[in-house]
Amino acid sequence: MGHHGPTPEGFRRIPTWEVAKQPAERPKKPATPKTATKKTLHELGIVEVPDEHKVQAALERLHEQIKQRRSYMLAMESCVKCGLCQENCHTFLGTRDPDDSPVGRADLIRKVWKRYFTVQGRLFGKLVGAEDLTLETIQKWLAYFYHCTECRRCGHVCPFGIDTCEITMLGRQVLYWLGVVPALHADSCAAIHRLGNNMALTKSGAVDTLEFLSDEIEEERGFRVEFPVDKPDSDIVYVPSSADFMLNPDTLKGAALFFEYIGANWTITSRMIEAGNFGYLVDQYRTQRELVTRLLESAKQLGAKKIVWGECGHGWRAAKQYARTMADVNGIWHIPIVHIHDEIASYIVTNQLELDPSRITRPVTLHDPCNYARACGHVENMRIIIRKCVSEFREMYPNGERNFCCGGGSGVLFDDPEMYPMRIRFSQKKAEQIRETGVPDGPDGGILCAPCSICKAQFYPMVEEHELNVEVKGLLDLVGKALVFRGKETSGGKKW
Amino acid sequence: MVYFIGNVLPYITVAIFLGGLAWHLWRWTAPRIPHFVALSPFPKTWAGSVGFIVWQILVFWNILKFDRRLWVGAWPFHVAIGAILGGHVLGIYTLGTQFHMIFPYAITEALSESMSVILGKTFGIIFVAAGAYLLYRRFAYDRVAAVSAPSDYLHMFLLLAIGGLGVYMRFVPAASLHYEEARHFLAGLFLFKPEPLPDNPFFLLHFLLVQILMIIFPFSKLMHPLGMLWNRWVVNRPYEEPAMGLPGVQLVPPAGVMYEDSGRTIRVEHWPRFPVKGV
Repeated sequence: MGHHGPTPEGFRRIPTWEVAKQPAERPKKPATPKTATKKTLHELGIVEVPDEHKVQAALERLHEQIKQRRSYMLAMESCVKCGLCQENCHTFLGTRDPDDSPVGRADLIRKVWKRYFTVQGRLFGKLVGAEDLTLETIQKWLAYFYHCTECRRCGHVCPFGIDTCEITMLGRQVLYWLGVVPALHADSCAAIHRLGNNMALTKSGAVDTLEFLSDEIEEERGFRVEFPVDKPDSDIVYVPSSADFMLNPDTLKGAALFFEYIGANWTITSRMIEAGNFGYLVDQYRTQRELVTRLLESAKQLGAKKIVWGECGHGWRAAKQYARTMADVNGIWHIPIVHIHDEIASYIVTNQLELDPSRITRPVTLHDPCNYARACGHVENMRIIIRKCVSEFREMYPNGERNFCCGGGSGVLFDDPEMYPMRIRFSQKKAEQIRETGVPDGPDGGILCAPCSICKAQFYPMVEEHELNVEVKGLLDLVGKALVFRGKETSGGKKW
Repeated sequence: MVYFIGNVLPYITVAIFLGGLAWHLWRWTAPRIPHFVALSPFPKTWAGSVGFIVWQILVFWNILKFDRRLWVGAWPFHVAIGAILGGHVLGIYTLGTQFHMIFPYAITEALSESMSVILGKTFGIIFVAAGAYLLYRRFAYDRVAAVSAPSDYLHMFLLLAIGGLGVYMRFVPAASLHYEEARHFLAGLFLFKPEPLPDNPFFLLHFLLVQILMIIFPFSKLMHPLGMLWNRWVVNRPYEEPAMGLPGVQLVPPAGVMYEDSGRTIRVEHWPRFPVKGV
């Protein structure tokens, strides 16, 4: 299996069209993420099920889950294995491993479902593709369900609309209950329960960072923008991604500049400095519910009339489409949740923002985060914004709902030696797309706009590995840069 | 044995077919849709949703858009199935005069019957050819073969055998069966006064294989036309977006602004609704 793991010349330079010539084969041992320690699991309130009980426990959980959710049940029983999804999946394009394609991945559970819970599987077994559940299969679940980035491109292309992401979620949920969780996800979830966000940021830490950002804006633009935290009687609660405090400060600044421009009475709530939702990715029953409940509670406490979401792809889906039905709060506590991009776009089309595109002169291309484009119908608004903010905008094809994932979606941001090469390999297709735009070719390179925290976290190392001369930015970064504060600012700052 | 296949098994087959169908549809409908898990495109209304689903069914839009080489097999194959099923019902019931009944003045009964024969032959050939192509595709693409179970091949072999026998009976006069004979036999079954099977080994085999198909239908991936409807009901549904505009903001939107983008100017009358589509 030469194409698994780093090759002598490095794993980064195997174009997908070269990979496509290799036979589709299963590797002997798929790359598997490092699992969480007992201590972390203990913090989450789970204990790993002993090996001798794992199979039985997994079957019970599977049955209980599938028979209560229609999306799971239909995904189990209506696939015809046409193979259409395979070459539309960036993990398959990167590895040629049939189990790394949506249909193969879903089959890891589908075969088990067939074997134990369908008439044909119980009668005919292998003939209809049914298989006993074994510990090896559970180990495969751990590998392949954490290769899936839940980008839903398979759901988008499937003729029947089978959303394999739902199967990944089911697999991850069952694994979570078995106590088999990657360290990255378990640590993030534990941090959410301990401190309220993935990055284990405390309130004092957040306030410090925000003050520092205020200083930076003042230095650059010549006026001060405050970041209110836990301000009572605020009209708007803004939910930034916790990664913005450390990795993407320009995104936070952009949001603050926008709110300052429109004169909003806004605040950040220290209980919810997390637009992401790792619970959505591994444990919808406890962690995701905890976060959406906490969101509505804290917004209510501050008197907010609207919740405005920051740049986070999966978190936006987790809040927009799950908060209503999942949060454990009184129904009258539900307040509208909107995305900041939608709001900015509607201020732009009503000509209420003055934006100066000449401040961003390098060519810009936009990566559509999967959860925006395919899961939330969030495509056109980003273009309305970007066209007004930058001098030169180039589309990256395929775009919109047909885009490819960055390769790090759903928290597949593993750093361990086994998974890191996979993660870069999954982004091979993306690298080719970016290269085709010609944006990295300029003398100063270009800007890759990736308005999602996980995309950004994936792109920071990925553009290095694939040798792309682009700077990774969020969309709010560009808005903040382009907004013209007449009579207030002394300069627009350094040109991008 | 012939008596069993012709006069007993059909009742068992239909009971299993309808019972299995009902049981599976119940099994699919009983689980809840606890959260809104729709995917793109996000239609605004139920009419939009239904339109999208119908469009998918009629042209196999996703296959056409994402995999032409699959579409050239899959779409003709399913169109042929539809035509053949319709032809069986209408042709046998009206003894081949269905086109005369639809256009009584333009088409004579004789013309209708020959049309029925020609269309039957055409769609039969399309069915077998497209099916063979799909089967070849399953063998030839190692990525598809790698995820295929033996039953995936067997289903197609069964369909091809049924279709192949049908085409053979159409083309070889010695093997063919007249509409009257078929109607006489089927009417007997439907009226619970079973008549003996027509004395035609090809028809016997054709009829037996169809019964096997009907028995396995509810317990196999052949349920996918219904699975698609049930699935798309979950993932293609409209969503009411909250209104745009932030509370307590000092800017007041001017009425009827002219907004220019990509060389086009539009007049924005109202506060835009999500998703902001103007250009």
